Amino acid sequence: MNDLSATTSLMHGIQQLLRRNFVLTLTVGYFIVMSALLPAFASSRNLANLSSNFWPLLSLVIGQLLVMIVGGIDLSQSSIMALASVCGASLMCQSADPVVFAKAPLWNIIFSEQGGIFAGSVFAVPAAVAVMLTVGILVGFFNGFAVAYLKMPPFIVTLVSMMFFSGAAIYLTASENITHLPTSFTALAQKRVLLPIPVWIVAASAIVVHIILQHTAFGKKLYAVGLNAKAALISGINVPMVTLTAFTLSGFFAALGSVIYSARLEGGRPTLGQDLLLDVIGAAVIGGISLFGGRGGVRDAFAGALFFTLLANSLNLMNLSFFIVNIVKGGVILLAAAADAWRVGKSGGMSKR
Amino acid sequence: MKLCMRMNFVVVGLLLISGIGCGKKEKQITICFSFQDLETEFWVGAHKAITEELMMRGIRVIERNSSQDANRQLEQVRDAIAQQVDGLIIIPQDGQSANTIIGEANRAGIPIAVFNRPPADSSRNAIVVLADNKLIAEKAVDYMVEKAAASGRRYRPCIIVGDLGDPNSIARRDGFYAALAKRPQLFKPVVEVPSKWDAGTTLANFEAAMQANPDIDFVFTSSDFLYPQLRSVLEPLGKWTSDADPRHVILGGIDGDSFACRMMRERIIDATGVQDLFFEARSLMDELLRAIDNGEKQPKKWIVDPGFALTLDNYAERAVDMWGCVLLHRGLISQ
Repeated sequence: MNDLSATTSLMHGIQQLLRRNFVLTLTVGYFIVMSALLPAFASSRNLANLSSNFWPLLSLVIGQLLVMIVGGIDLSQSSIMALASVCGASLMCQSADPVVFAKAPLWNIIFSEQGGIFAGSVFAVPAAVAVMLTVGILVGFFNGFAVAYLKMPPFIVTLVSMMFFSGAAIYLTASENITHLPTSFTALAQKRVLLPIPVWIVAASAIVVHIILQHTAFGKKLYAVGLNAKAALISGINVPMVTLTAFTLSGFFAALGSVIYSARLEGGRPTLGQDLLLDVIGAAVIGGISLFGGRGGVRDAFAGALFFTLLANSLNLMNLSFFIVNIVKGGVILLAAAADAWRVGKSGGMSKR
Repeated sequence: MKLCMRMNFVVVGLLLISGIGCGKKEKQITICFSFQDLETEFWVGAHKAITEELMMRGIRVIERNSSQDANRQLEQVRDAIAQQVDGLIIIPQDGQSANTIIGEANRAGIPIAVFNRPPADSSRNAIVVLADNKLIAEKAVDYMVEKAAASGRRYRPCIIVGDLGDPNSIARRDGFYAALAKRPQLFKPVVEVPSKWDAGTTLANFEAAMQANPDIDFVFTSSDFLYPQLRSVLEPLGKWTSDADPRHVILGGIDGDSFACRMMRERIIDATGVQDLFFEARSLMDELLRAIDNGEKQPKKWIVDPGFALTLDNYAERAVDMWGCVLLHRGLISQ
């Protein structure tokens, strides 16, 4: 009888574990199956590719997570990436072609034939990275202010931001890529300190966000606002400030992603991340972060980004056409969104706001 | 027990036989062909020329469309490298992303060929096939200039400029100015219309240019695929006419697509610079396969297609050499 109860308790424990880590379990299962089916899938080179694709995406998904927890959405992440990319690159580039940039508004102000205003300085890279992150924070702050204090819908605010700041990135460089970046910057994506540098940067950020969400009062406030903003307000939570902070952090993480993507593409690109938004929101939804707010954590962001990266990579290795890859990705995101809607409906409908 | 041993012998025997069989069988070459998109007829033509050439040679092709996203193209090429392909052919998004991708291929020891868009840094190890854009543009504009000279009046020239981040675009603009510089007295100041290789941008900017400078009567487009936008603006003004009409705008371009072919047949377009796509695809393949056969991991060679200008004067003889006319005549593009 005791054995039976121990077995039942073990089974219950496994069930709970699987339920809590469903996407992670699915991801591990998917990895095992694909490794058996596709010979190149588990090769060391492909694992390096997966890592290189996963960490910058995770940075963006964490930003999106914070906004989604408070019941919002940030469609402007791709434009933040583009703007941060050209701002940072223009400051630290070591030279630029006057034929290409002569008509760019930043030409001869921020950068010239001799490079950006930080070029040649030992602080060029840290200063440029700081500017990139600041750009992200400022755009995020703008979005958060409009949503929290002007009571504008996040969808329209960030959609307009996406258009405005994408346009600004293209305008500032006359749509050209800024190249000749310092090797110490491109090394951020290419060099290793035991592990690739992006792993350290994003993993450390992820741990910090996890601690904030799970172990601080601010984390609890984020969930409270997402679950029921009115109840949170009545409970004495400064809802606008919490919302503003969530959007500002989303901007920061988008800029952090921009640093890594710009480094690995060796240039500042005004179109950086143009096609990435669906991947970010897709990964978040697949991870189980609710589109309706109040649900999700770093573990979900990790699992979603990992599954999405594995999925995209395996579809490439299957040599499917571009169109099929997009159809499959879209289908998976749709299923995840439907599952989220079903789960929210089952647990008593959407929160009252 | 005996049965088990017998089974083991059978299995080992089969494995040995299959091993010998594999050893005898020649390994099929696999090449990843990564392209930026198939939006214009030129890229469709290039894609067709390359894939047909690959298939004709019995090569397995892994195709990757990056949909104009440099980051996606990098990821796709890395995935192909993980599959241990024998070679890579890329049509990069731009010269800068070509550098990054060539670097990846060089590190992996896989020979790479770049089609039609030169890497920004020519010191990287790659087979690069490209047209001499400056020379081809200059040849086409030379003909237009001679035609202008024959009319005995001054012209207001206009150039539809491509994306200046693309070295091809810069070379084409240089070719245009080099031709004009041969007879500067014939021309008023040039009107430059930026297109960014985008149809919508071209339409808006060319419309504005025609309003600001209604005397524009000499137009060179840095790519033939923008002709429909020029027509949309010139036709309502009564300027989309054959060269026999006094309102005729001297028109020229570069690429050699089927639209240019059709319009030259109607004598609306005066000249177009033509790239020999079939020569480019063939020479690219020859060099890449030679490198693979010789075990070269980082081959480096630049192949230049000198191209030619198809004009109203040589149309009858040379139209058969223009890829756009070939596609048109093969019925691959609707008349």
